[in-house]
Amino acid sequence: MYTMPFDTVLIANRGEIAARIIKTLRKLGLRSAVVYHEVDARSPAVSMADTAILISGHTPIAAYLDIAQIIAAAHKAGAGAVHPGYGFLSEQAQFATAVIKAGIAFIGPAPETIELMGDKIRARNFVQSNGFPVAPAAIEEDDPATFVSRARAIGTPLLVKPSGGAGGKGMRIVRDVDALEGEIEQARSEGQRYFGDHRLYVESYIENPRHIEVQVLGDSFGNIVHLFERECSVQRRFQKIIEEAPSPALSPELRKRVCETAVGIARAANYQNAGTVEFIFDAGEFYFLEMNTRLQVEHPVTEMITGIDLVAEQVYATAGRELGFAQSDIVSNGHAIELRLYAEAPERGYVPTSGKVLLLEYPSGVRIDSGITRGQPITTAFDPMLAKIIAHSPTRTLATATANHAIQGVILLGCETNASFLARILSDESFVRGQFHTGYLEENPHIAAGNSATGLPAFLASAALLTRQVRESADAVPALHASLGDWRN
Amino acid sequence: MLRIASGANVNSQDFRQNELHNRRLSDELKERQRAVRFQRPERELERLRRQNKLFVRDRIDALLDPKTPFLELSTLAANKAYNGEVPGAAQVVGIGIVAGREVMVHADDASVKGGAWYPLSVKKIVRALDIAIENRLSVIHLCDGAGGFLPFQAEFFADRYFAGRILRNQSILSKMGVPQVAIAMGHCTAGAAYVPALSEFSIMVEDTGAIFLGGPPVVKAATGEDVSAQELGGAHMHTSVSGTSDYSASSEMHAIAIARDIVARFHRAAKTPIDQAAPEPPAYDASELYGIIPKDPRVQFDMREIIARMVDGSRFHEYQPRFGTSLLCGFARLHGYQIGILANNGVLLSESALKGAHFIQLCDKNRTPLLFLQNTTGFMVGREYERRGITKDGAKLIMAVSGASVPKFTVVCNSSHGAGTYAMAGRAFDPRFVFTWPQSQISAMGAEQAAGVLTHVKARQLARDGGRLAEQELAAIRGPLLDEYRERSSAYYATSEIWDDGILDPVDTRSALAIALSASLNAPIEAPHYGVFRM
Amino acid sequence: MYHSVEVDGVDHQLWLSPCQSGSYHLHLRDQVISPVAFAQYGENSGVLTVAGETERVRFVIEGDLIHVHIRGIMRVLRYRDPLRTLACVNQEESSLMTRAPMPGVVVTIAVSPGQPVSAGAALMMIESMKLETIIRSSQDGVVDGIHFKEGESFERDAVLITLSKEGR
Repeated sequence: MYTMPFDTVLIANRGEIAARIIKTLRKLGLRSAVVYHEVDARSPAVSMADTAILISGHTPIAAYLDIAQIIAAAHKAGAGAVHPGYGFLSEQAQFATAVIKAGIAFIGPAPETIELMGDKIRARNFVQSNGFPVAPAAIEEDDPATFVSRARAIGTPLLVKPSGGAGGKGMRIVRDVDALEGEIEQARSEGQRYFGDHRLYVESYIENPRHIEVQVLGDSFGNIVHLFERECSVQRRFQKIIEEAPSPALSPELRKRVCETAVGIARAANYQNAGTVEFIFDAGEFYFLEMNTRLQVEHPVTEMITGIDLVAEQVYATAGRELGFAQSDIVSNGHAIELRLYAEAPERGYVPTSGKVLLLEYPSGVRIDSGITRGQPITTAFDPMLAKIIAHSPTRTLATATANHAIQGVILLGCETNASFLARILSDESFVRGQFHTGYLEENPHIAAGNSATGLPAFLASAALLTRQVRESADAVPALHASLGDWRN
Repeated sequence: MLRIASGANVNSQDFRQNELHNRRLSDELKERQRAVRFQRPERELERLRRQNKLFVRDRIDALLDPKTPFLELSTLAANKAYNGEVPGAAQVVGIGIVAGREVMVHADDASVKGGAWYPLSVKKIVRALDIAIENRLSVIHLCDGAGGFLPFQAEFFADRYFAGRILRNQSILSKMGVPQVAIAMGHCTAGAAYVPALSEFSIMVEDTGAIFLGGPPVVKAATGEDVSAQELGGAHMHTSVSGTSDYSASSEMHAIAIARDIVARFHRAAKTPIDQAAPEPPAYDASELYGIIPKDPRVQFDMREIIARMVDGSRFHEYQPRFGTSLLCGFARLHGYQIGILANNGVLLSESALKGAHFIQLCDKNRTPLLFLQNTTGFMVGREYERRGITKDGAKLIMAVSGASVPKFTVVCNSSHGAGTYAMAGRAFDPRFVFTWPQSQISAMGAEQAAGVLTHVKARQLARDGGRLAEQELAAIRGPLLDEYRERSSAYYATSEIWDDGILDPVDTRSALAIALSASLNAPIEAPHYGVFRM
Repeated sequence: MYHSVEVDGVDHQLWLSPCQSGSYHLHLRDQVISPVAFAQYGENSGVLTVAGETERVRFVIEGDLIHVHIRGIMRVLRYRDPLRTLACVNQEESSLMTRAPMPGVVVTIAVSPGQPVSAGAALMMIESMKLETIIRSSQDGVVDGIHFKEGESFERDAVLITLSKEGR
């Protein structure tokens, strides 16, 4: 029997991922602690955790970015390890370093690996120098004076990216070369604000590629395996909406190639935890995009098809345990689709929505990773993701149908969500056929727009019948006069 | 109750000709009503728009509960007066549903002569308030009148039933505990200022509504003071300083919303109970009335055919079917309400009068409202009939009609002449409502006889003066006399003078009566008691 | 006067009239749907009948807001009480209030109280998800109140900045 070097893990995160990590910790017999800002006081993670510690900040986000408070909380909870989740501090090497310095294990790769891979430019150069494919780019810090002219030389379309970026934030597409400088300045300001890093680079923008990523897992014994790929092309503004595994676009040969490339990159980086290598895929070619040195939002689809609990593997790796399986033991089984339930209105240009969870019911038969609970306020202070719905079926067709049925059974009242939009995607012919790319939603704006008239009479009827004033004014009319209707003489 | 077996042959030549004729009359009525309701000079409508005012019909539509009926009364008032220039007497009145309550709506029509009150306007308002009193209906006043039309003041100011009666009736309603709501949507000047003041609830529309005894020109003339209408009596002043009005509304629609909310607070008293059953449509189609009413008004027809197309299931319990058959009496239901019907099937004779008087008392004792369907040339005249006491028996019928405590309703289906008009609950006998059909005639005697009498009188006058008239000359006198007499006995003339509550398309009669019956049951029914019947 | 229910910023005029026992006709401005009926089961659910078809409905009533979920679609409907909606808003006053076009967070504030601004001047930068939006003044005036601090989040239609008329 293997004993863990720690018995309590602090989760430096919130929402669905905090709740999801707690579930695994319980399974592993570990105690869980979470930090939370007061706006999250009613969230499920806070009630599920064995210990919940209040942190504060001048904004709610700032609280979750406050390293000192989080380390203090870890000490207070007696945590021997910290799980950063995704987003927030998860890819900040200085956080990992500070945690380790405080004598606490960091559940993730070594700070140097984060440093290497977390910096987009350095990661790109590293990958290129190890002989893996990358897209043509101009990097500002190579020579700031010639940055714009080098960028121009690549030719439009271009993609301006912050070096420290993640999750698509701060990225800008430039089609008109004259707009390049303006976009660079805007991206710089956003990069500074989101990531505290003003450095940029410009890449050749491949129109309408697929976004395919490979889950890798390494341990401190030098073992590296992949857990197959994930298809994440259904995006809007670089934000993933629906992910699935396996990708419907890959032949066994292509799958083998991309997975082995990912393992090669991870091996070159001496990667020792769960990580994801992202590629763009176009016309049979893969280009390295970036490596995420953390758990991904969409990790559940991989868990579903492989049966491997990635959070458990992260904990094991951090605890210094050797991987319990070899590459050949990992088998892909069936098809999984994940839907991201967002507090936003695709029908109105994806504006974020807010409110309070007045009623919440999830369908059965699918995996739900939920970060909300009834009574909880939903603010725009954080990323708008509320929950993930993950369907796993023997085939893609069945998984699509299951996901579609499930999303229609998600009952969340009190805050507008993208649920019906997700259902529209799942019903769209291109999606059903597996034929889409990252520009799919932009090319098909009708999917986001929806049809405002859909089912309207039923909603109006409900409103009428449920509104006291409307019902009372109908009931107040004497039967005789009601029977005469709008008779006039 | 036996269903009436109609003897009408809908395929007969007569039926078709009648139908053609009566449909034409109905179309003519509809067209006249439409013109009176909506046909206005563009400049008047433009003025309303400029003043940010809604047309009176739109105000009423907004006030009423959607999908509920509105029984408009005296739509064609003044259609034969003032050269036809004052449609509807510049007033709209009727019974409708507001917040589920039956109410009387009284609205000034500012698109006609600026809403000025003419003598017939005053008569129409007084009648509306009389109806409100008799049937305990709350009144919603939509005030937008310019006050009385001074050149005609002698015909509407001083007498008992003139303009003061409006204010008196409002006060009586209040005393009875029947609340009123007024919305000042325009200037309420002089006497009209008291209409909102005497209402339990008063709303004023900001900027357009004003209430004052004398408007700015009168004030200027009287005291030399320069003051704007809004300063003098605007919504702000009256709702925050004088307390003359209760609510200030930012628009007419807002005012109407407030009024609806006020009415929704009104207590709904239980209706006076009468015998009632589930309603049932007539077994015969009402549109067949067009083929049944003869195109020649002198042609007699069987009132059972009319009743069959008006009452529930066409069922009629006929009382004394073999006695006094020229007056049909019996029970029926109308929208479930039990009623007693008296209908003329020929000239009134002693037996018919006795039967009618008896039947009225039966109904009165049984708390059964009475419906009179008039088609009468009056009582039979002649030596033999007088000897048998026709006048004495007619008096019994009049005594019973006058004394009955149950609500009465009268429809003039065809002729209404002589003492028949009275004995069959004419206007003077306070039926709750009187309606007429387009072809009906109402006068002291029939036009032909009357023209004969009048020609005879004229000839006698001429003879006294030594003249003698040739047949040709007599005919020349008779023609214009007949025309004028006919004109003044027409339904349109009668309704112009507000001798009734409006002309109905015959097919609308059932619904109109149902609304009227329902309204009448807001007032209690007194125990029966009568004067002395001459035996 | 019809009742008014707002859906997605659009007003729908509607009225119910009784049909047979417990059911109604639903009158919209241009159509009648009947019969309609609602049988409630439990606090937040019921079965809606619309012209012979039944739908399971989940709902929450929150003041004038009615949150309804039918067949995978959630909508928020707002009952607009005529007493409130018909009461005229003071046009001038409302244009002096700058409201949030969407929920978000204040990024930077470009003005300070007492500062005169002209129409079109940038007042504030807000951020909603990944988009930054500049809030501009709709007219000339003087900054009277700034209702949120940098970093604070706000809901849609929140009053961000109030101006006063110059010389008042």
